[in-house]
Order: sequence, then structure tokens, then C-alpha cells
Amino acid sequence: MFDFNIVTQWLDTLLMSFLPAWATVLIECVLVALVIITLYAVFAIVMIYMERKVCAWFQCRLGPDRVGPWGLLQVFCDVLKMMTKEIVNFRNTDQLLHHVAPFLVITASMTTFSCLPWNKGAQIIDFNVGVFFFLAISSIGVVGILLAGWSANNKYSLIGAMRSGAQIISYELSIGMIMLAMICLTGTMSFSEICQQQENLGWNIIRGHVPAVLCFILYLIAGNAECNRGPFDMPEAESELTAGYHTEYSGMDFGYYYLAEYMNLFICAGIAATIFLGGWAAPLVPGWEQWNHIMLYVPGAVWFVLKVFFVLMLLLWERWTFPRLRIDQLLTLEWKYMLPMTMTLLVVMALCVSFGFVWN
Amino acid sequence: MSNQINPQIVAAAELHATLASLKAEGYDFLEVLTGVDWGEEGLGVVYSLTKTATGEMTHVKSVCADKENPYLDSVCDLWAVAGIYEREAYDFYGIKFLNNPDCRRVFLREDWIGYPFRKDYDESQNPEFFLESEPISDKAVCFTLNEDGKVKKTETPIFGENDYVVNIGPQHPSTHGVLHFRTSLEGETVTKIDAHMGYIHRGIEKLSEGYTYPQCLGLTDRMDYLGAMQTRHALCMCVEQAMGIEVSERVQVIRTIMDELQRIDSHILFFSCLAQDLGATTAFLYGFRDREEILKIFEKTCGGRLILNYNMIGGVAHDLHPDFVKDVHRLIDEVIPHGLKEYHEIFTGNVIFQTRAKGVGVLSKDDVISYGCTGGTGRAAGWHCDLRKLRPYAAYDRVKFNEITFENGDSLDRYMVRLKEIEESCDIIRQLIDNIPEGPIQEKMKPIIKVPEGTYYSAVEGSRGILGVYLESKGDKTPYRLHYRSTGLPLVNVMDKACRGHLLADLITIGGTIDYIIPDVDR
Amino acid sequence: MENKSYFSGLFSGIKSLCTGLKVTGRELFTKKVTERYPENRKTNELPERFRGVLVMPHNEKNEHKCIGCGICEMQCPNGTIKVESEMVEVDGKKKKQLVRYIYDHGCCMYCMLCTRACPQGAITFAPEYECAVFSREALIMQLNQPDSKCEEKPAPAKPAVAPKPAAAAAESQPVAGNATPDAAPAAPAADSAADEKMAKLMAAAKKAADNAAAEKVAAEEAAAKAAAAPDDAELKAAAEEAAAKATKLATAAENFAKKVAEAQQ
Repeated sequence: MFDFNIVTQWLDTLLMSFLPAWATVLIECVLVALVIITLYAVFAIVMIYMERKVCAWFQCRLGPDRVGPWGLLQVFCDVLKMMTKEIVNFRNTDQLLHHVAPFLVITASMTTFSCLPWNKGAQIIDFNVGVFFFLAISSIGVVGILLAGWSANNKYSLIGAMRSGAQIISYELSIGMIMLAMICLTGTMSFSEICQQQENLGWNIIRGHVPAVLCFILYLIAGNAECNRGPFDMPEAESELTAGYHTEYSGMDFGYYYLAEYMNLFICAGIAATIFLGGWAAPLVPGWEQWNHIMLYVPGAVWFVLKVFFVLMLLLWERWTFPRLRIDQLLTLEWKYMLPMTMTLLVVMALCVSFGFVWN
Repeated sequence: MSNQINPQIVAAAELHATLASLKAEGYDFLEVLTGVDWGEEGLGVVYSLTKTATGEMTHVKSVCADKENPYLDSVCDLWAVAGIYEREAYDFYGIKFLNNPDCRRVFLREDWIGYPFRKDYDESQNPEFFLESEPISDKAVCFTLNEDGKVKKTETPIFGENDYVVNIGPQHPSTHGVLHFRTSLEGETVTKIDAHMGYIHRGIEKLSEGYTYPQCLGLTDRMDYLGAMQTRHALCMCVEQAMGIEVSERVQVIRTIMDELQRIDSHILFFSCLAQDLGATTAFLYGFRDREEILKIFEKTCGGRLILNYNMIGGVAHDLHPDFVKDVHRLIDEVIPHGLKEYHEIFTGNVIFQTRAKGVGVLSKDDVISYGCTGGTGRAAGWHCDLRKLRPYAAYDRVKFNEITFENGDSLDRYMVRLKEIEESCDIIRQLIDNIPEGPIQEKMKPIIKVPEGTYYSAVEGSRGILGVYLESKGDKTPYRLHYRSTGLPLVNVMDKACRGHLLADLITIGGTIDYIIPDVDR
Repeated sequence: MENKSYFSGLFSGIKSLCTGLKVTGRELFTKKVTERYPENRKTNELPERFRGVLVMPHNEKNEHKCIGCGICEMQCPNGTIKVESEMVEVDGKKKKQLVRYIYDHGCCMYCMLCTRACPQGAITFAPEYECAVFSREALIMQLNQPDSKCEEKPAPAKPAVAPKPAAAAAESQPVAGNATPDAAPAAPAADSAADEKMAKLMAAAKKAADNAAAEKVAAEEAAAKAAAAPDDAELKAAAEEAAAKATKLATAAENFAKKVAEAQQ
């Protein structure tokens, strides 16, 4: 398995050899930032295209195919459109908060994006409480949404933001519980170690068998809710609130919300791939030496991206099948069904682990 | 069979008592209320009442005593639907209905001068185009009679000062057209709805007074665009029966088949739009995919997809396309059954939809009769209001079908009525399609169609309820008064009643399942 | 759901969700129904009855059938059609002739009253659908082509007898295909109230009927010729066409007579 540390170490020693330490750090930081932004943009574009195509296929349609071959340029055109659109300032809005809100959302989204382990050694933020950090940072996004709803001085926005607040805070509990259950299994909160462990011992979803599979399904549901995506898209519920909390945004301000929504979905899928499906770990089967040999040639990043897109497919499938829930149904689902289930699963997982009832 | 009506004339003072006694006799459904300007005789109203048990009708005419300041007693305490009908008559004729708690204008702007349906109306009072936005009053108007015989106007605010009022519409994805609900919310709970209509009112009834009968036909397809066949059928039938023309068996059968195809079309669109409103975009597109097949059939035979222009006075415009029978068989034997199965799997059975629709927006049988909610909305509450059974017309007396009714009157039942009706419509078509009788498709008509003097009323079962045509003729080539009983107006009117106490999201479900079409409301 | 217990409600709910997922999962692999519009414009044929735009068909000699009577203009509810005509003198007789037939596509509501009312069958709706233009003015079009004229009526007493079958075929087509200009001056039903014209109208109607009868004879003769030479496909087709046109002409004459009778009332 290719270790990305070789590249980073080589770069570090190279820079250190002729630059002072502070300059090295500065250059490295800039490089990392560039990489994050590029990856963020590239994956957003891929995802938007993918979502449109896949949803169209579910609906007996072809999806975008007018701009460029197979509609490949459609997303670029949309981005261009959004960037050139005027940003409208309304009277009676709280200007400062109104413009800060999208940045909060995009910042939260980018920071969580940095937590994803792309490959062995290729992880931007990695420390021993990585999972905890991820959960903490991802909650910042909701502040941006609440601010957007409040500052817009629009009734739709306000209702949308309030729904969003209730929704995200509720579902964060489930996500936390699921994460805890998986941490029980792994015994570590560091994403890199979780991946490394899965390469050595097998994927968590297999190691943890029944409780892990259930956790995975619940995670998909809670994740969709966490990303404000259908059937949990109440905050924007276009048939009720026109566009919910971002009703009053235009141009790139809206674009940030749009971008963040898609990337949150990607991150959600990425975390699922990491903690359940082995992250960058190749699918190794004990005993199949030749198979394992070939699999190890494929870089970990490829595995990671493949797994992410597999999870994304599942999320899209869910998204494009169900009608939207009502706000009380949504909270019922969380508090009456999801939370008791995840808590039970946490206990079951803990019991499994303590009695050694896991596959290693 | 003549459809001429001879309204019983009642003095304005005894109107309320007469109608109340008629209601006690069993005429418990106010089918339509038509304002008319009889010129010298004065302004007045024709009430058309129906016995829900038998479908029998009676008509009561009352003329206002005073032409300058016309007023009549309101009957909205007897029938809730009268409230909105009276507002319409007030709007167009300026007849004040005493004790109607909310006698505002309904379609025209608040600042409109004059009453356009009066025969002496002067068009020049209003500008050709209004350049400033429409003022929307926050006050409900109520007219009462003082002791000295003068009409007194009192204004009460519609919403309280602390009400959190959200505008649903006029540009809103799920109001199914340009409709404006001012919705007062308590948290997410709806406490009151004030529907504001008329954004796309085209004055079809007024225009018709200057049109010849064939020209009037051209406008009917533009009212309820999902009931184009049936609306046109109603007007054609009204004029034909008034003139004493018998159309051939072939035409009767063709019209029946077309009406049912239109009903399937409408109900599939109902399903699609409801799914879309509830966020199930995929189900929405499945519905549209199947509806396309019906539109293709229409396109081949009628030459139009939405604006069909098919029924003509005395017949139909074209003979059936040679492929018609084959296409219809494919539709009712393959496309629709497959589609319905899919709709039920993806949407009907879905636990999310079930919980969103069950027990939401309950309208009891008494409510639907009082509010005049016919069609699927009425039948979901257990009211047998299907005109195809009550007063059979065209070829409906020779086919067997079930009138679908449910008991609960909630959103789920309203939805199920329509999906089941698709199956029944297929069944009706199946009975007729293979033996369409031979015969002329168009009776010989005089080049200029004149309806003999008199008052006529005909109604058909439209896609979403009873669609009636009230026609008053002075023997000219143009109608003296042409009034449509729109299916949508009572349905919009009942929204306030149905939505109170439910959540904002339920408003969408209820609006979707009550299934109104705005161009039909704003005629 | 309220009757079900917590768990059975949960499981039936999950089952219903899975059913939904099954449907969408299946549809993912079905044939897509999207119409690929600009690519399929060559193959995309609309039904012939589709009402896209009003047209006035011209034959290969740049002749149309409109006699400028203006019935369509009267029938139109929206004032979509303007018929401009002038009186010209032909062979000593005054005759109405179409100058410009103006159609405002932006106003048209495709109600078919004009095409149904036209006594000559001169206008019809075409299944056109690419009607978008950049200005309202561009929607106003002239339907009669420049320098076009009304189809000449055949000489009534001209029997289509020719020495050779081929010649007969060649001749019978224009003969039978022509409309009846005699009907032309009479057609303006707009003037139906004018009593002094009534007699003229009736005469014209009779003449039109006579013409139609003459065409029928000609067409029958052509058919007989065609039967005599069954190998000559062209001749046969011409005869068939002649017969069809003669029938149409007879109907037009009948309609016209009816209109005259009505106007008389």
C-alpha cells in the first residue's frame, strides 16, 4: 500500500533544507489550503453532476445532456452563472449577519472536509480525538443556517431556520451515538488509526457484524437528515417555504449554501466510508493471497473515493424515493425511533466488544 | 330532454325564509348561485338547489327591490358555500348581501370602480392597465340593515394585530396557480387562512356575453385546463338541449370516452402534483410519464394536448383517429395498470405519506355538502355526489361503474378516491371502446346558432366536481348571461375550514388533495 | 398507524420504504422517456391534426383557394384574422379578390372556427411547432404568398374529352382541381343582409352546384379512361384525385347553397 507520508516528508525535508522553519510551515500551509480548496471544488462539481444524472435515471429521464458531451459542462455553466449573478442586498436585513452566515456554513463544511482520510498519510487534520473534533466542527454549520434565517427578515427564512435548528441538533445525537458505538469497536478516535486498524483487521462493518450493519443504515438516515437533504429537507421544503433559510440569498452567497449542502453530503458519505467501510483500506480477503496482492497495488485514495461514491449512491437512492417528512414526523422519527435504537446499539456493541464477540 | 328551468320567483323579503324551508324539505345543497342583471326588471340572483338524496333540482329567483342600492339577505348561514358565491355576485353586480360576514370583492381589485357585469357598466371608469400594485384590504366588510332601512357597512380586521401572517402565494410552488393564501400561524400551526383570488381572472363570463355560442366554446378549455373536455361538454350539452338538438349515439359515446380520458389525465396529474408538493419528485415524474400517453391520444384525435377544442355544438370537431381504439386499449390495458401499481408502491403505501395524509384536513359529510365540495373531495367524505350516477348524461346510463366513496373525509381518502376513480374510468372506457356506434359526428347546424329565449342549466361531472352551466338567452346569437359553476371556487373556499389547527406542511397536503385548479376559480 | 403497536408500526413502515426503494431501483434501469428535441426534429412528426399555425395552402402554380369572403374574419373571437380584398373587373363582371390575408399568430387561440367556417377550405392548421420569434410583430404574417392568385374555375361546359388517354389525364387534373370562381363574388356572407344581392347569390349558388356536377362528370370520364388503361398508374392517380376534388367541390357548393339559404332567412 502506497504511503503518502513519503511525499509529504520529502517535501518537508526539501523545504527545510534551504528555508527557515517558519517559511516552511507557511508554504506548507498555503499548499494544503490550495489542495483543500481544489479538492472541495472538484468534488462539488462531480457530485452535482452525479446527483443530477442519477436522479434523472431514477425518474426515467436522461438528465442534463445539452451543454457539452453528456451535459458535462452544465455544472461549470451553473457555477459561472452563480458567480456572475448580482448579490442583492435587501433593506431591513441585518447586513452583517446576513453576509457572515454563508461563510460560517462554508467554513464548517471545509474544516470537516479536511478531516477525511484520503490515503495512508494523506490526511490534513489528524489527531487522537479526530472523531470528536469532526462532530464538534460539523455542528458549527447550523449556526450559519440559523443566522441566515434570522438576519434575512423573512418569514419563510425564519421558519426554515428554526426547523433546521431543531432538526440538526436532534439528529446530531443519533450521529454521536452511532459514532460512539463504532468507537467502542475500534477503541480509537483517530481517523487514521481507524483506517489502519481496518486494513489490518478487516472492515468495521464486517468486524462489528449485526450491530455495525444496523449502525450503518441508521447512519445513512441520520446523515441525510444532518445534511438537510430529502426526505429531510424541511428547512428549505420548496413546496412550503419556497427556499427556506436561503430564500433571500442570491449569487455566490446562495452558491455557498448550495456548495456546502453538496459537500456535507460528500463528507457524510466519506465518514461512513471511513468508519464502516475501511476508508482507504483495500478489500482484502484472508487466504486469497493473489487477490490481496493485486488489491494492494491500487492506491488507497482510489478505494476511498470508490467507497464514498458507493455510499453516495445509496444516499441518492434514498433521497429520490421518499416524500418529505413533516416536522413533527421528523422529530418523532428521531426521538422515538432513532435515538432509542442507537442507544440500544451502543450497549449491544459494547457488550459484543467486551465479550469478544467480534470478528477479527 | 329539455334543460330549461323556470325559477320560482320569490320576493326579496321572503327569500331567506323560502330558502330555509326548501333546505328543510331536503334541498340541502346549494349547487350554484348566479347573479343576473335583468335590465328593467332589476338585479337579482338565481339560487339553484339540489336534493343530495335524489339529485333533483329547484331554482329560486329573487330580484332586488332597489336598483341603485341593491341588497338581498345572505344565506351563508344556511350554506357555507353561499359566502363565497355571494362575494362573487357582489363583486360583479354590486348586490350587497346583508349579514354576510365577509362581503369583500373576491376577484376584482379592491380599488375597482363599478360592477362590470351590470349591463349599464361604463368601462371608461377604470384605466386600461393598472400601473400601481393592488391594494389588499385587511378588513372584512359586513353589510347590515339599519332600522331606518339604510344599508350600514361595518369593517372588521381579518387578522389580529399579533398574528404572524405568512403569504403562501401568489407566486408559490404549491398553490397550483396564482392563488394567494394569507395564512396566520401560531408556531407552525395554521390558525386562519384568507384566500385572495382573481390574479388571473379573465372575465370569461363577461366576454361570453359579447361572443356567439361557438366563440364561447373556445374559452371553456381555458377554464379548468384539466377538465377541458368536460367543461366544453357541459356548454355544448347546455346549448344543444336548449335548442332541442339530439346528438347521435356515436357522439354521445365519443364524448363519454373523452370525458373519462380527461378524468384519468386529471387524476394522474393530481397524483403527480401531490407527490411533488410532498417532496416526492420521482413519483411526480412517473405520473407525468404516463400522462404523456393520454396527451398523445388527445393530440392525434383532437389536434391539441391541453386546449383540446374537441366538442362542438351538435357534435365533435373530428372523427376519431384511426389509431384511437388501439391507443386507448394500450393505455387502459398496459400503461395505466402498470402506472397505478407503481404509484401505489412508491407513494400510496409509503409510511411517510400515510402518516402525513391520515386524519389530516378532515371534512365531514355535512361540511362538504354545506361547503359545496363536489367531486373527489365530496365523495371522500361519503357524499354520493357523482352526477354520472345522479343525473346520467351522454352514455353514462349504459355503462356499469362504481361510485367510489370513502367515509373519513381526510386527505388520504381524498387521494384514494381519485386513484380508485382512475380504475373506474378505465372500466367505463373498456365497456365503450370496442363498440362505438356508427353515426354522424356532427349534426347539421345553422351557420348562426341562436338559443331560444329562456333560462337553461346543465351540469356534468367534471374532473374535480360538478361543473354546471347556467345560460340565459334572449333568443340572440349571443348569450344574455352565461355562468359557470366552477368546481374550484368552493374547494378554495373550504381551505380555511380544512386547514385550521393543522401544521403549515399540512396546508400543502390538504391543498393538494382538495385539488383545485386556479384558472377554473378565476374564470 | 395509530392502531399498530410501536414495533409493528416500525416494521410495516420499513417495509413500505423498502417497496418504494425497489420501485426506484427498478426504474433506474428502464428505458428513459426524455425526448431529445433538437436532435429529433427530423424524425419528430406531430399528428396531422395538430394545430400549430394557420396556413393557406398554395398549389404548385402559386394559387390558393381563398376568395376573400371574410367569413373567417367574422368568426374569429380575437380579431386574429384581417382579410383585405378589392373588387376587380374580370370579363365584365365585378369580382372580389384577395389582396392580403393577415394572420396574427400572437392572438390566435386555435379554436378552429375559421377553418370550420371557410366555404372554400382555403385555410387549415398545420402541425408546425417551432413558432418562436423575437418580436410580436414577427408573429403577424401574411398567409397568401406574394403574386399568388385565386385558383381559376374551370369553364363549366368543357367536357374533358381528349383523343389520347394520357392527354385526358393531363387535362383532367387541372380541370377537376379548380375551384369555382363563380362562387367568389357571391360568397361574402357578410353582405348577406343586402337584399339586392340575394338574387345574384342564389344564381351563383346554382351555378356552383352546376359546376360541381360538371366536374363530377369530368372526373367520372377520367376514371373510365384510367380503367381502360389499367397499367398507367399516373393516369389512375390523376383520375382518383379528380374524383376526390369533384366531391369536395360538390360539398362546397352544397354548403354555399345552404349559406345562401340561411342568409335569405
